[in-house]
Amino acid sequence: MAELRPMYMSDLNTVVKIIEATDEDDAEEAREIYQEYGVEGQFVLEHDNKIIGVIGYSEVPGTDGTYWLSWTYLDPAFQGLGMGKQMLNDLLNMLREKNGRKIFVKVSDYDDPEDGRVYERAMKLYESVGFVEELVGKDFYDEGENQHIYGLKLRDAASDEEDEVEIADEKPVIRFDGMYEIGDSDGAYTFSWTVKDNKGLFEKRNFTVEDLRLGIDAVRNEGGRKIFLTFPSNLPLIHTPLQAAGFKFVGRLTDYYEKGVHELHFTHDLGNG
Amino acid sequence: MFPIGDDNPQINTPIATYVIIGLNALAWLLLQGMGSGSTLNASVCQYGLIPADLFGAMEAAKPVCPPGSGWSGLLTSMFMHGSWMHILGNMWFLWVFGDNVEDSMGSVRFAIFYVLCGLGAAAAQILSNVHSTIPMVGASGAIGGVMGAYLMLYPRVKVHLLVFIITFRVPAVAMLGYWIAVQLLGGFSSLHASGGGVAFWAHVGGFAAGALLILVMKDDELLVKHEFHGWSQSADPAGIWDDPANRQ
Repeated sequence: MAELRPMYMSDLNTVVKIIEATDEDDAEEAREIYQEYGVEGQFVLEHDNKIIGVIGYSEVPGTDGTYWLSWTYLDPAFQGLGMGKQMLNDLLNMLREKNGRKIFVKVSDYDDPEDGRVYERAMKLYESVGFVEELVGKDFYDEGENQHIYGLKLRDAASDEEDEVEIADEKPVIRFDGMYEIGDSDGAYTFSWTVKDNKGLFEKRNFTVEDLRLGIDAVRNEGGRKIFLTFPSNLPLIHTPLQAAGFKFVGRLTDYYEKGVHELHFTHDLGNG
Repeated sequence: MFPIGDDNPQINTPIATYVIIGLNALAWLLLQGMGSGSTLNASVCQYGLIPADLFGAMEAAKPVCPPGSGWSGLLTSMFMHGSWMHILGNMWFLWVFGDNVEDSMGSVRFAIFYVLCGLGAAAAQILSNVHSTIPMVGASGAIGGVMGAYLMLYPRVKVHLLVFIITFRVPAVAMLGYWIAVQLLGGFSSLHASGGGVAFWAHVGGFAAGALLILVMKDDELLVKHEFHGWSQSADPAGIWDDPANRQ
């Protein structure tokens, strides 16, 4: 009988080895992330006192019970026995007890020349416990390697669906203040930004198409392939400049921030591929 | 309570709104002597709308004006005003609300819409008292129509209101709802009164005409460019990303 228990820092090497068996890049990054952010919300699956899997969640700050699934890997020797599904269901139940509302997971559709689509089983697994694909970021990780984001409602539909919510538009003064390559990607960039309390007398409230072009040029100079930006769905002023700067609409993560406030994803292709 | 602007960008130059404001200013300048006593009175009688005059009832009463302006007053009265405050107030409202309504249908159609609203306002005022011998003047009926249309098109848009020295941003539905409520109250309390004053029923009639006419006169293709049209907000206010060309 395999059971989940909280992960400790002392489990780090074992966990990294399990991830390594499937994805070396992920293992390296996971080690760094665990070391930097700790292992809160992370769990290991133990079978006969031996760690055979890892799973975990991280809460999205500022949202109403939204979580991301963190690295979820199972020792290849134990795959296909229903253990992954059990591990996943145990974690989802944990979040339901914490009154979590929604959980998302990102999956690559990397097609390895030798091993084929290494994450296909993971996708099947997520779908089997109720995850639904919400959007696909084309060429997110690399040229030809897309990012699929799956979402799952943790609360049952009946209790959540009933009440209609009124979402107010917001017009924050967003200013971009940098750009950086997205961690697990090759050549995909995003912008960092700050929200100012007030706009200056002659400033525009929203960022402008010129602001976006500055960022686009900066990414181009770095040799970036694509830019991905995400915004909440209740900001009416962002759409015109995004479109004017050549951004395309990727899709949305439904009810990401709270019920009725989605996360909209946009992308700009720089053609440096 | 005075609207000083709105968060509603205009997309095309509101030519018809400018022309209508120009016509009102010209009439005030050339036909009404900019409000100077005798010229003003004569112009109000000549170009104003006198309900009793339309139905030959002027003889029976003791009219303010000589009979004879007749049916043409239906059209001319909407370009006449009674005082500086009257014309400035009306033109200001038209300036604030007219551009976005014109944006929803184009200039030629807007000119027709404006005149129809003025006629609707006149009809309501006549119906409220067919025997009235008091001349009615003013663009407010037609502008009431513009406000009725604005309410239907952009209820969620924030209008900036100046109250004393403070500005508030309130949704158009609140500001225009309040405005029409005041007109209705004024209209009912004036039903049995006689004498001059504000033509409340013209405002109500114009407002209703505008709110109804906009349903058939708006151009949805133009309207979709306005971020905040309609009652419900969407994740994609301008419908930009609905276009397959804008999708990944």
